[in-house]
Amino acid sequence: MPTPKTLAPRAAVGTASSRGARPRRRGRRPHWVFALPAAVFLAAFSLYPLVQLVRMSFSAVTSGTLNQAWQSVGLDNYLRATESGEMQAALMRTAAFVVVVTLSGMILGIAGAIALRTRGRWSSIVLAVMVFCWALPPVVNGSVWKFLLAKDGLVNSIALGLGLTDTAYPFLYDQTWALMSVAFVCSWAVIPFNVLVFRAALMQIDQEQFEAAALDGANRWQEVRHVMLPAVRPTTLVLLILTVVYGFRSFDYIYVMTYGGPGTATNTLPFLGFLQAFQRYDYGLGAATSVIAVALVLVLAAVYARSILKEEKE
Amino acid sequence: MNTRTGPVTGIVKAPLTLLYGLPLIWIVLTSFKPSSEVFGAAFSFTPTVAAYSDAMGPALWTALRQSLTIAVGTTVLVLLFAVPAAYGLAHIKGWIASLGLGLLIVFQMAPQTANIIPLFQIFGSWRLLDTVVGVIVADTALLIPFAVMLLRPFFRAVPPALEEAAQIDGASMPRTFFSVVMPLARNGVFTVGTLVFLLAWGEFLYAVNFFLSPGTYPLSALLSQQVSAFGINWPGLMALAVLTSVPILIVYSLSYKSLRDGLAVGAVK
Repeated sequence: MPTPKTLAPRAAVGTASSRGARPRRRGRRPHWVFALPAAVFLAAFSLYPLVQLVRMSFSAVTSGTLNQAWQSVGLDNYLRATESGEMQAALMRTAAFVVVVTLSGMILGIAGAIALRTRGRWSSIVLAVMVFCWALPPVVNGSVWKFLLAKDGLVNSIALGLGLTDTAYPFLYDQTWALMSVAFVCSWAVIPFNVLVFRAALMQIDQEQFEAAALDGANRWQEVRHVMLPAVRPTTLVLLILTVVYGFRSFDYIYVMTYGGPGTATNTLPFLGFLQAFQRYDYGLGAATSVIAVALVLVLAAVYARSILKEEKE
Repeated sequence: MNTRTGPVTGIVKAPLTLLYGLPLIWIVLTSFKPSSEVFGAAFSFTPTVAAYSDAMGPALWTALRQSLTIAVGTTVLVLLFAVPAAYGLAHIKGWIASLGLGLLIVFQMAPQTANIIPLFQIFGSWRLLDTVVGVIVADTALLIPFAVMLLRPFFRAVPPALEEAAQIDGASMPRTFFSVVMPLARNGVFTVGTLVFLLAWGEFLYAVNFFLSPGTYPLSALLSQQVSAFGINWPGLMALAVLTSVPILIVYSLSYKSLRDGLAVGAVK
């Protein structure tokens, strides 16, 4: 009786193989069970809050009525947010902020990766220091940059010492400077990560490709243009989305360095929503602003999801 | 890989060295300066530990304990949820997997400033405001999506043949997971655990708003309040920044290699 004998161990495996005598080699085990606890947790603490946020954006909610039944006001919050012009101004600021963070993050990311891919003590130390800065809490980095960019801070002392300017630059005290200063610090914080990702892609290049390029008489710049840039291209789209999202969501450097000011100069869309809710106690208005912010993120999320799924199918 | 150095790379390396080296040096230097000489000469000053001795009091130890509780609690919870979830999600296919992935990306990308508005209301009605548990739960919800997305490629890299072999040998699903899959994905779990700890240590928005009084703030929240105050005491602030960073330095030096090499794998694949 050879058949039962061979079946016995398979039966012991459990429900997955009990459906048929055919050995299930493709592993049709109920793997989704493993994802269940996380799914329940996120349903309660991520999905439900988002639903509440949307509900809140259609209701009049202040600190007094926060935990009572909310009175529905239709589109009133959205109308108030746009009629005051606050939302449009915040959108423009967010766009400028994201463009600066993304451009400098991507360009210095690839430049840094090309420079730091080299072996040698200097490269490894700089890379290690950069990753450490990236690992530090944003409050720490924000504090030191606020100090460095202060009126009497290091950057201004150097600029004055070199004779670049007669008066200190108002890095954090001027309407236009402030947004750009915070964007600069924000890109400073994301560059190490981008360097690591680009560097990993550069490390995958075959030595032979460089040798072939050298045989063809390629100079340094051609080596970058024809060997390195093509090698990082697949990584670039995903990293681009991640950098855009990073710049868009960023609030910690704004909170620490300017708290949205001076005036409203550094109120980006996500930060404006926060201030409306927790400073003005107008939770309905803050929720409406935040819903718009989440909606903008949805577009990026869709592009990101598509590029991940596409890459995995290949 | 071509690893020759050249003068061209120096043009990039020199500014990077300054841009990342100087802030670190300045935090430490300033923390040893007397208040009167904060904006004075860079290196010639009378070093003092006054800022540190002022900072070290019962309040600092409370904050340190809060930081540790939050960071460790969040790391443990996130790994407990995210490791099995990443394993499961790496194996299932079809629309459920796509939906799960899509939702995770949305949760990961939604601004934290948007999450905090409904969470504040929900925690208010569930009596989780002003509790460490509330902050840990909020941080965990914030970081699970990120952890799952980073871990998934590590589980996808485990050859299916290995799992099938274990299955044919009669190993149960939990057994396969713990003795076949986990050892192979260990590096990924270590990297992600480190990252979650670093992020939870630095998180301050939830802490500042969910704790109702500064007496129970963790270090990051304390720092965020001092830096946005008027008339900043810079040496004191920098001393607090150094003290907040010491645990990060420890974790970083234990995990630098895995962060350097593991981050890129999980982030982009």
